[in-house]
Amino acid sequence: METPRSEVLQGTLDLMILKTLHTLGPLHGFGIARRIEQVSENVLQLNEGTVYTSLLRLQQQGWIAATWGVSENNRKAKFYSITKRGLKQLARETEEWERISGVIGRVLRMEGERSS
Amino acid sequence: MSSRLRTFAAKLQGLLGKRDASAEFNDEVQTHLQLLEERFVRQGLSPADAAAAARRQFGNTTLLQEDRREMGTFAHFEGVLRDFRHALRTLWKSRAFAVVAIVTLALGIGASTAIFSLVDNILLEPFPYKDARRLMFLEIHDTQSNQAGERANYTSAELLEFGAANSVFDNTIGASEDLVLYQQGAGTEEMYGAHVTPGTFELFGMPALMGRVMQPADYEPGAPPVFVMRYKAWMTRFNGDPDILNKTFVLNGTPRTLIGIMPPRFGWFEADVMIPEKPVRGENGGFTGYPMRWFLLAHLKQGVSVRQAEASMDVIAHRLAAISPQDYPQHFTTRIKPLGYGVFGQFQTTLYTVLAAVLLLLLIACANVANLMLARATAREKEFALRAVLGAGRARLVRLLLIESVVLAMGGAALGTLLAWGGLKVFVAAIPPDVIPAESVIELNAPVLAFTLCLTALTVLTFGLVPALHAARRDPNDPLRDSGKGVAGAFRGGRFRNAVVVFEVATSLTLLIGAGLLMRSFVALREIHLGLLPDHVFQTYVRLPEDRYATGAQVAGFFRPLLQRIKALPGVVDATQASTVPPAGGRPAEMEISGQSHSEKWQALLQHCSEGYFRVLRIEFKEGRPFNEAEVNSVRKLAVVNETFVRKYFGTKDPIGSRVRLASLETLADPVRDPWFEIVGVVADVRNVDLQETVEPAVWVPYTVTGSGAQALMVRTVQEPASMMEAIRQEIWAADSGVAMAYPGALEDRISERMYAAPRFGFVVMAIFAGVGLLLVTVGVYSILAYATARKTQEIGIRMALGAERSNVLGLVIKAGLRLVLLGVGIGLAVSLALGRVIATHCGVLRLMIRPH
Repeated sequence: METPRSEVLQGTLDLMILKTLHTLGPLHGFGIARRIEQVSENVLQLNEGTVYTSLLRLQQQGWIAATWGVSENNRKAKFYSITKRGLKQLARETEEWERISGVIGRVLRMEGERSS
Repeated sequence: MSSRLRTFAAKLQGLLGKRDASAEFNDEVQTHLQLLEERFVRQGLSPADAAAAARRQFGNTTLLQEDRREMGTFAHFEGVLRDFRHALRTLWKSRAFAVVAIVTLALGIGASTAIFSLVDNILLEPFPYKDARRLMFLEIHDTQSNQAGERANYTSAELLEFGAANSVFDNTIGASEDLVLYQQGAGTEEMYGAHVTPGTFELFGMPALMGRVMQPADYEPGAPPVFVMRYKAWMTRFNGDPDILNKTFVLNGTPRTLIGIMPPRFGWFEADVMIPEKPVRGENGGFTGYPMRWFLLAHLKQGVSVRQAEASMDVIAHRLAAISPQDYPQHFTTRIKPLGYGVFGQFQTTLYTVLAAVLLLLLIACANVANLMLARATAREKEFALRAVLGAGRARLVRLLLIESVVLAMGGAALGTLLAWGGLKVFVAAIPPDVIPAESVIELNAPVLAFTLCLTALTVLTFGLVPALHAARRDPNDPLRDSGKGVAGAFRGGRFRNAVVVFEVATSLTLLIGAGLLMRSFVALREIHLGLLPDHVFQTYVRLPEDRYATGAQVAGFFRPLLQRIKALPGVVDATQASTVPPAGGRPAEMEISGQSHSEKWQALLQHCSEGYFRVLRIEFKEGRPFNEAEVNSVRKLAVVNETFVRKYFGTKDPIGSRVRLASLETLADPVRDPWFEIVGVVADVRNVDLQETVEPAVWVPYTVTGSGAQALMVRTVQEPASMMEAIRQEIWAADSGVAMAYPGALEDRISERMYAAPRFGFVVMAIFAGVGLLLVTVGVYSILAYATARKTQEIGIRMALGAERSNVLGLVIKAGLRLVLLGVGIGLAVSLALGRVIATHCGVLRLMIRPH
């Protein structure tokens, strides 16, 4: 039996990509998709095309930059790297995420205490 | 904010290097797909399966491209532009549909806006005066006469009495006509003037455009003489020159100062100039030597009904009748009518009928466009299903169709506005004179235009969106699988659609029959013989200064040499003096015939003329002869009468040599003593009341018998009569530069304007609407049947597969259509028969609108 795969939460893909680029340095789209797949251990259902939409959005915001390079297997590929502004944004969003997930976690725990 | 700005900058960049970005993005996606594919192959899938798996994992590349483009560019702007172009292309491909839809919309918008503007300006708000709805005039109605012969003119004594004795009006004024002579350049010109009584300008409550209106002091005897001018006269005769204000003009011999010019919409009594005059009891000196008569207008007090006012005025009128019974019919009632009544009172039924017809047309137009769009939607179902399958979101489909509908609506709106504007111009030009009040300004009614535009736009948008909503809501596979039910599910209105066809056909037929009836009666009108030949006759009234031309001898002294000189002009056949220009028939005069007694009043229409009158107008003599030049010059008391006169008063007896007494000639400013006239001739009847009215008894006497009464000149010419105008004007001024022509022109035009213009207008308007209606109905029936047939494509296919012939199918479709059309024709005929009477009475009504001067 397979555990049902979760959809990527709206807005979280941007954060995951930023974090990936922050951790692994410049990467192409395929690499980013593989990394998210690997980290999420197949729990997340990802339409890989949406990675590119997200990349475009991040680029427009100036949080990542893109340069053309050559991939491991000698293919022309666009490499994305996080910018200084992107780093700041990552810090902000990480903090925000932790705050919210903390709150949600607390709320959920509270619910649990009461029902038991 | 700053993040938005950055996005904006990035988009700008994207806009500049668009093609590159698109290609690069494509490369990137392709690389990704290949890498995925390779990975799946490594995992052991066959190349084909690997490719499919890769695509599955990557998702919809088209949608992605679209997203990217939308993000990378100003999606809305660009998308809308693209859709706009697409819409134009699609509509161009189905030109017939687009043209029909736009023209239908335009006709609906144009016709209804133009007519509503007309009705609004003429019937709803014609007068710009203060509390105009309570301004009333007074009529004495002879209850024994069934003719429309009400009296609405009163002596000074009556005017004063009506004003002072009533308790239902808070202001009563009078106006009496006058032709005003003034010097202009080398000669004399004439303006239509009115003597107005104190309180006139207070009643209307309109300030002057320039200068001031009259004050109570201006009416007092001995006050400096002043006058006020109408805007139209100021513009046409003085080119709107502001310097003429406070200048002094010699009007009918009296120097008067122009103290004010009224605003454009002030049109009381249609007078060019208004002269203050305080009515004095017993004073009798009126225009052209006839007794002074006032038209009475009054403001109904708040809270007083028309009926109350009528009852109150009736008491006063009967008291006055007891004092001077000769001025009143034996049995009469007093009627009160609103200011506009005399002009458009009877016209309003026609206009309201037309308005109703036009609103129907607007509805038909909307229904047609709705049906056209539904038919088109049915035909395009597959296209939209395909679009949906290929990844077009609901929003995109809606936008696409919305833009298409907007293009249609805009086309219709633009053309419709143009039609409304042009149509109104045509109507205004076609409206006969005297039918609408001078005060009403006919212009396009903006709120109505807005309303019709909104209504049609709403129709187009609503029905334009139906396919989008369906394509988006339904499983896109349905139409592709060809279920064939189509959009119909939404508009399950077979019976409704049939009703629309029947209704449209019936309406259009009714309009057409109405137009036909009006046209027929118009043609019948043209065929009525006038009794005279109006072609090649120049006519003009001639205004003589009263101080110099008071007696018959003085008037004859002017005309005798003038007629000689005009007859000597090249191109002139004959010339005559006349007191009345046809189609007017003269003044009613009481008379007696020697040796005959009678109890009721005997009346005849009296005219004065010179010997050439019957020759100029080619009026046929039945018996006897006209008076000759010597008899006219020696002021012989002779008379010519018409056949009706003889039939009515002589029966079979020979009238020649009998004598008639025309008592009214005794009461003129230049009275005729012992007014017994010997009948020397009998002429054929000439229409002297109206085309469809019976001819009244008429009598002509030599013009030399009195200096009173209107003077006119008629000249039979060889060429176009209007071309003689200048030559004749010069002759008149050579005879006396103080004399002016009034209402000059061709006799034929004058008669046509007075007798045919109103019925022609009625039938032209109806014909236009019937034409528009027919066009709309054709479109309507076509679109509905096309829609219904398109929905049956499946059924037809099955029938044909099962062996039905082409002719069977055709028969099926035609029969379905024919049944509805025939039903519509039946209903239309029934309605027309019922309305025929109404329309026939309208013709009579149109007749009443012609009011001889």
